[in-house]
Amino acid sequence: MVGFSVLSLWKFGSPAFRRRVTYKSVLRLDVLSLEDITMLRKGITESFGGAIHALNTTQLTDGVIHRSKRMMLDTLGVGLLGTRTAVFNKALKYSQMFTSDERSSVWGKSQTTLPPHYAAFVNGIAVHSMDFDDTWHPATHPSGAVLPALLALADALDRPPSGLDLLLAFNVGIEVQGRLMRFSREAYNIPERFHPPSVVGVMGSAAASAKLLGLSPAQCSHALAIAASSAGAPLANTATQTKPLHIGNAARRGLEAAQLAQLGLEGNPNILDLDRGFGVYYKDYSPSAMTDCASGDFRWILEDQDVAFKRIPAHLGMHWVVDAALAARAELANEVRNFDLSQIRRVTLRVPPSKYIDCPFPATEHQARHSFQFNACSALLDDKVTVSSYSEAQINRPALRELLSKVKVETPKANQPNFDKMYCEVEVETHQGQSHVARCDTFYGHWRKPLSQEDLVGKFSVNASSVLCTEGVEGVMEVIGNIERVRESSVLGLYLTMTSSQQEQLYSSM
Amino acid sequence: MISTLQRTIRPVWASRGLHNSAVEALKYQAPGDTVTASYGKFISEIKPQHLSSVVLHRSKRMVLDSIGVGMIGSTTDVFELALQHCQHMYAPDDISSVYGRTGTRLSPTLAAFVNGVATHSMDFDDTWHPATHPSGAVLPAVLALSDMMPASNKPSGLDFLLAFNVGIEIQGRLMRFSNEAHSIPKRRAPPSLFLILSVFFIARFHPPSVVGTMGSAAACARLLSLDHSKCSHALAIAASLSGAPMANAATQSKPLHIGNASRLGLEAALLASRGLEASPLVLDAVAGVAGFNAFYEDYVPQPLESPNKNGHMFLLEEQDIGFKRFPAHLGMHWVADAASSVHKLLVGFGPGTVSPAQVKDILLRVPKSKYINRPFPESEHEARHSFQFNACSALLDGEVTVQSFTPAAMTRPDLSALLSRVRMEHPQDNPANFNLMYGEVQVTLVGGDILKGRCDTFYGHWRHPLTNESLKKKFRNNAGAVLPSAKVESLIDVVEELDRLGDCKELLSELQ
Repeated sequence: MVGFSVLSLWKFGSPAFRRRVTYKSVLRLDVLSLEDITMLRKGITESFGGAIHALNTTQLTDGVIHRSKRMMLDTLGVGLLGTRTAVFNKALKYSQMFTSDERSSVWGKSQTTLPPHYAAFVNGIAVHSMDFDDTWHPATHPSGAVLPALLALADALDRPPSGLDLLLAFNVGIEVQGRLMRFSREAYNIPERFHPPSVVGVMGSAAASAKLLGLSPAQCSHALAIAASSAGAPLANTATQTKPLHIGNAARRGLEAAQLAQLGLEGNPNILDLDRGFGVYYKDYSPSAMTDCASGDFRWILEDQDVAFKRIPAHLGMHWVVDAALAARAELANEVRNFDLSQIRRVTLRVPPSKYIDCPFPATEHQARHSFQFNACSALLDDKVTVSSYSEAQINRPALRELLSKVKVETPKANQPNFDKMYCEVEVETHQGQSHVARCDTFYGHWRKPLSQEDLVGKFSVNASSVLCTEGVEGVMEVIGNIERVRESSVLGLYLTMTSSQQEQLYSSM
Repeated sequence: MISTLQRTIRPVWASRGLHNSAVEALKYQAPGDTVTASYGKFISEIKPQHLSSVVLHRSKRMVLDSIGVGMIGSTTDVFELALQHCQHMYAPDDISSVYGRTGTRLSPTLAAFVNGVATHSMDFDDTWHPATHPSGAVLPAVLALSDMMPASNKPSGLDFLLAFNVGIEIQGRLMRFSNEAHSIPKRRAPPSLFLILSVFFIARFHPPSVVGTMGSAAACARLLSLDHSKCSHALAIAASLSGAPMANAATQSKPLHIGNASRLGLEAALLASRGLEASPLVLDAVAGVAGFNAFYEDYVPQPLESPNKNGHMFLLEEQDIGFKRFPAHLGMHWVADAASSVHKLLVGFGPGTVSPAQVKDILLRVPKSKYINRPFPESEHEARHSFQFNACSALLDGEVTVQSFTPAAMTRPDLSALLSRVRMEHPQDNPANFNLMYGEVQVTLVGGDILKGRCDTFYGHWRHPLTNESLKKKFRNNAGAVLPSAKVESLIDVVEELDRLGDCKELLSELQ
């Protein structure tokens, strides 16, 4: 990227009409509500602002570095693949309406750049477009909200940050999300009201961007406050084409919040402390302060709780049901001579209760990625589930529809809608009266059974190669693999746009 | 390479035990039967002839007031900050005009953003019942979009007004889906540790951020003449962009709630026009998967009937808007009017000053609301949301004006002295509801005399609307801060004529 203009710090002087009023006497308790008093000295938002500002590279442990680099690689691969989706193209066309002096790269596009916010937007959309990105516990998709914002910002800065700076800022963005989700019991279960990336993702993006911009502790707090006003998208838009925008918008608006804070915009300095602040997004809300990172007690959440990487582009819950369905199928094929699918009388799925991934007859690709029934049947029919299982043609196959009509879903009480505790069982009954059950407690890729490095890199390779030439694919792997030692992270942007020209032409008309 | 899942699980022979009942399959609804679809149809089918003369009249007043308030708002710090941000992160784009800045233009959504920020920057914009600030979320988007449309094909003044009214109507309808909204969205009562909560003003989400975005999306979908399906999707996309917590109100960020509502609603409509799709059930209440009801505790959606059958009665016909006389939260107008009547008693209807030395005690009887109860406001934003500050200002000066919130006025020793003598009471019969509340100011003088003022309906409230003259006077003061008086008068005329204009460019050209 050439020709960055300086992102100078605008100052408008202190907010013109502020004035410290000194109260000579004790606080007048009759005018403060009880809530004011109990909230007064919590200083939670302040602790977050302080931590975002103070966390430095010496605090990054080997464990956290290793895990976060895997997240970055996976996110980039998934994002690159996602630049070939319809939703990405719509968002790209829309975003090209905007002009700017500073430009940031659009992954997988050698000729296109966008204003930084819109680069964060479209790249974030790409990451989540196929539901192929990482998932954490409590549930959210942490990386897609943060990495696109950071890379877009890095492109726009006068001096490109070092790889280590980028890595640190990334981890700050992940950490803040993890902390926020622990403020509520509601967050531990599969959501019902707000889509979690839209709640915590924008906060993570704001934190990460604030870190990369080197904002003061107060500015970091205000970045969070401003971001909170951009949080919260309803769950109903998941399983639709708009879902990826939740991540795209989280990335974009978190970056925006940090930049507005840099310009001096202020929000509520107690945004995390208050029920009517960040607490509005949760039914139960119990915030707590961030550990002082100078104290030596600081521990990254990522150290103790890893993410899950997906092997299929579908909601995380689908991974259990697919593994179980494949196992049941194998059993059947083994036990029954000349087994064929027409012998199936009924398929029973025993899954946790969750309305938004219970879709008996999905009509679109988005619904299919959020359907226990569809994924179980695809696995039974094809003996595998891949990226191409979700095309319109595949969804509408008569054989698949027929199998879908034989599916029954049960939600046993013991099966909790929680990614740490759930399981899936698939029971297949044949017309001959035989029954085969398989159960999956932990799919391969879950944090309890992480993808091997070889398989993670393999996933990246397949994804990235659909868009980049070999040099680009290997370049990204090289840079991320050694990111702590990379002096100028701008080289990443170069590799991310090294497309193979044939592929770009093929897809540019979509 | 992983392109297939590996089978790593060993199958288990499960006993055919008892299981709980299955999750209910989603009840199959014919696509046209949903509330969401009815809204999409309404937006696509409504026509200018459905606007009654009352609605035309009232909405033109709203347009005028909103423009004026936006113009004076363009002199604020927060507007400047927002504008600099847009100009910095994006290049100038010669499309949509910016209030109060001749020659400055931005991309349509960015213009909608900064103009929305301007409109709400001083809390001077209109207020409706149930409570929200409807015009600021809609007008900037409709203006920006009109600027975007080709010169040869701009909407007529009537199309413009229709789109504006659609934006207002949708907001009103959505607010009526919830009883919560009537008293301003309440949070579910916090843990018992805290005091009772009159249901009101313990808001969760700032209403303009919830319904404003939807209104903007609806208005823009109407102006773009999208088909009914795209209109529905515009609303659904907008839902994912709605909702900001109340805690940021009365901070410098609050105006961005309206700016963003305007911008993001326009964005949603533009994305829908490109074919982006979202939930077809966003307004319907689906158990276990929240749509628009994510923002409300109680939620009962109602479909909108097609206007093609029996015409349509706009909510604006039944429920007028409140216009503010000074830039502060609507609740302030009651105490200001009450305090100013006490001021008159004190100075005897002539010019004169009230001195704190005369005053022993000031008692305010107002609704209970943490959000506007600030004994010692430190910023202009807080002052605009302080019963105490507005009462004392009106007591001192006889009225509250734009100037009452300047640093000089705010830091007057006389004012601080009065503020320290204020007590508050929250009578049971005074609910925090703009249709029912009152404000009482009781001043006990040093000599022992007690003077009382009470206001049930301030001048500017929908029960006691501003006359056209008063409205124009407010507009002249506001727009005159940035435009020459000839332009100010032209604007007044062109808005008056708006429904008769063949081409809205006549309005657009007067704005800069």
